[in-house]
Amino acid sequence: MKQYILEAKNISKTFGNVKALENVNFYLRKGKIHGLLGENGAGKSSLMNILSGIYQPEKGSIFINNVKQKSLDPESASELGIGMVHQEFRLIESFSIEDNLTLSKSNIYQNNFKEAYEKYSEIFSLSVKPEKTISQLSVGEKQKIEIMKLIFNDSKIMLLDEPTAVLTPQETDQLRISLGTLSEEDEKTIVLISHKLKEIREFTEKVFVMKNGKMVAEELSTKDVTDDNLIELMMGNIQKSIIDKSNTAGDTKLSVKSLKYVDKVNNFKILDNINLEIKAGEIIGIAGVSGNGQVELANIISGIEVDYFGKILINNKDVSRRGVRSRKKLNLSYIPENRLGVGLAPGVSVLDNSIVRDYFKTRLGPHLSRSKTENYLESLINKFSIKAPNSKAEISTLSGGNMQKLLMGRELISNPEVIIASQPTRGLDVNAVEAIHNLLVEQRDKGSAILMISEDLDELFKLSNRIHVMFEGKIVKSFNIDDADINNVGLAMAGIVE
Amino acid sequence: MAIFIGSIILLIQDKSPIDTFSLMLRLSVGSVNSLSASLNKAIPLILAGLGISIINSVKLWNIGAEGQIFLGAIAVNFIYINTQINSPSIHIFVLLVAGFVGGSLCILIPAITKVVFGVNEIITTLLTNYIVFGVTIFLINGPWKDPKSLNFPAAAYVGEEVFLPTIIGKLSFGFLICILFTILAHYLKNKSVFGFEMRIAGGSAMTAVYAGINAKQKAFIAMLIGGGFAGLAGAIELLSQTHRVSTGISQGFGYTAIIVAAITGMRPLGIFLVGSLFGALSIGGSVIQTIGVSAYIADIIQASTLFGALIIQFFFTYQIKKVEND
Repeated sequence: MKQYILEAKNISKTFGNVKALENVNFYLRKGKIHGLLGENGAGKSSLMNILSGIYQPEKGSIFINNVKQKSLDPESASELGIGMVHQEFRLIESFSIEDNLTLSKSNIYQNNFKEAYEKYSEIFSLSVKPEKTISQLSVGEKQKIEIMKLIFNDSKIMLLDEPTAVLTPQETDQLRISLGTLSEEDEKTIVLISHKLKEIREFTEKVFVMKNGKMVAEELSTKDVTDDNLIELMMGNIQKSIIDKSNTAGDTKLSVKSLKYVDKVNNFKILDNINLEIKAGEIIGIAGVSGNGQVELANIISGIEVDYFGKILINNKDVSRRGVRSRKKLNLSYIPENRLGVGLAPGVSVLDNSIVRDYFKTRLGPHLSRSKTENYLESLINKFSIKAPNSKAEISTLSGGNMQKLLMGRELISNPEVIIASQPTRGLDVNAVEAIHNLLVEQRDKGSAILMISEDLDELFKLSNRIHVMFEGKIVKSFNIDDADINNVGLAMAGIVE
Repeated sequence: MAIFIGSIILLIQDKSPIDTFSLMLRLSVGSVNSLSASLNKAIPLILAGLGISIINSVKLWNIGAEGQIFLGAIAVNFIYINTQINSPSIHIFVLLVAGFVGGSLCILIPAITKVVFGVNEIITTLLTNYIVFGVTIFLINGPWKDPKSLNFPAAAYVGEEVFLPTIIGKLSFGFLICILFTILAHYLKNKSVFGFEMRIAGGSAMTAVYAGINAKQKAFIAMLIGGGFAGLAGAIELLSQTHRVSTGISQGFGYTAIIVAAITGMRPLGIFLVGSLFGALSIGGSVIQTIGVSAYIADIIQASTLFGALIIQFFFTYQIKKVEND
């Protein structure tokens, strides 16, 4: 028993009806780097939040240095030496580095800040003065300060939630070296959450794998386990399509040619040489972990983002320099991943939200015809069986599934030529998912060309004719659905392409 | 609640609340003359309130209605001095338009800074109040000072030919304009495509971009229109009440209008009603001074009405509802 610095046993946690964690066990050895692998929504962050005292588990016990902890709150967890770096930084932007590092009362370098800062900025190869304010730092530098904050607060167990998500490959490499030094010299116990296999492999000694709120593999030794094994554990078995895909494809409806997009602020290549072609009656799936350029790709095709290189053709018509509206007139529909906030405007009525796409058709000059818009909404409600209290109700009074049905209905009712559907079923219950899938297939059969961006492999395998895998802004691999299997798609998603 | 608080204060002062309120009621709405006086007072409140509500469609706040009222009046006087129009009705029409444009000009800089640089419009519109008030003081003490005003700082009176006619009693023609603009604002906000685009832009800037709606353009236009409404209030006030530019053009109408607009949840028809009520309260407030009660009682009632309305709004917004799962 002695060897573990932290033990969590049989942890369970539910949010509403969702079982986020179910009888999860987790052990950490002192001075080692542990990997925690899993898809989005597998429960990794929930587990970390429980260990750092932010959430209280419903069941289970936590031992730290073999002492059972009655209840952890953020303060007691910090006193016990557990610190966490969240995906969204918790730095005070307008304060200096020094102020941020010494802010906490558990800070141990109050008196010899200078030497400590020098020592650790060398380990992190950070070359900024501690007087600088946080807002002046790059994302990578902020990340380093976040991790240093844990050291300054005397955290012995460091939980890092997707620390590499915001880093460039060079910075990731640097982080690996820094963490290695910390675990060896300072005997820090580190947990690295990631869904990138390559990093888990390079960073860690031990690896845990989560899936759907369960720990499916405990304490595997990283060097003995193969990528294929990990992918299988992470993704589980996926049923191949039950949907008929024998319909014939027609003419090319959408082509994307050598698309390049650079984030001007950080001079970071977000999209690199993307080429796509979608024919009528085809569903093309874009697989990939979110944050690999999918949102930007969808925004560029729909005309929202205009500052890019490359060409977009709808029905062989070059629309590269056209705006959102003229693309809509060519009958392109976009179902954005951010349902409330982009697709639907919060604080605005169901009626108003229902006409966002086609309102220019229901107008008579400057007049917006009440009866026409009401009829339009009525037809959406009937055709797509949407449950809405009344047309004047605020949009967020609808359930997630009904919101998505309204959004899909609005975008599909005009029988569009091209559909971009981004994460169309994220966060929806089984029935809603089924309804949305049927809508997409129905639309495919009517001859729409559909680009479906999703993280959900089940969905991609079920609906797509072809799957492209995006990783770090590139299409790293493409599969015909018959040649695709969960392992090779999963490996490509993790950036491993042989 | 407002009446309750007013009553307590009256009782502290040893006055009978019932007598005071009945007097207020009688002298503010009890006769044609008093009713028309009340409604005249309501005109600037309603117009400025409508302007505020239009700008609020894109979720922006106009705190500068007071300045817009003054600049509207200044614009009227400027055009009056510099033009010669023989037909009185056309002349009045031109001057009213001038007032509207003056109000728009007043909010132009806040509108530009908002749209181009994202500067907080609450601050900039508030600041324009001070600037315009300074300009007014300068004009009526300097270039426009009327030599006949016996050193009272005010511009010269405009000629009687451009006075707005009255309809019934002392009720100004401005009230008809007010009704017309209430309908206009209601149409613009609730029935027009522009109103829809403003709602989407106000709801979520990202949804506007997604829908191909130019949110900044909508905000800009909404601000100019809203400012114009308040400017028109200044024009009517000048042409029907003060007949000259002086500091008396507005008695805080631009600020009270914010209360009127907020109480009604930015609904034009509501603004018309509540604006009328506030006009009556203010007339009632000034007459109760004759029985030795401070006119501030009316102010207190106004302020407590706002509190009451805001609390009620809270309960309307945050209801406990049973949600059915589906």
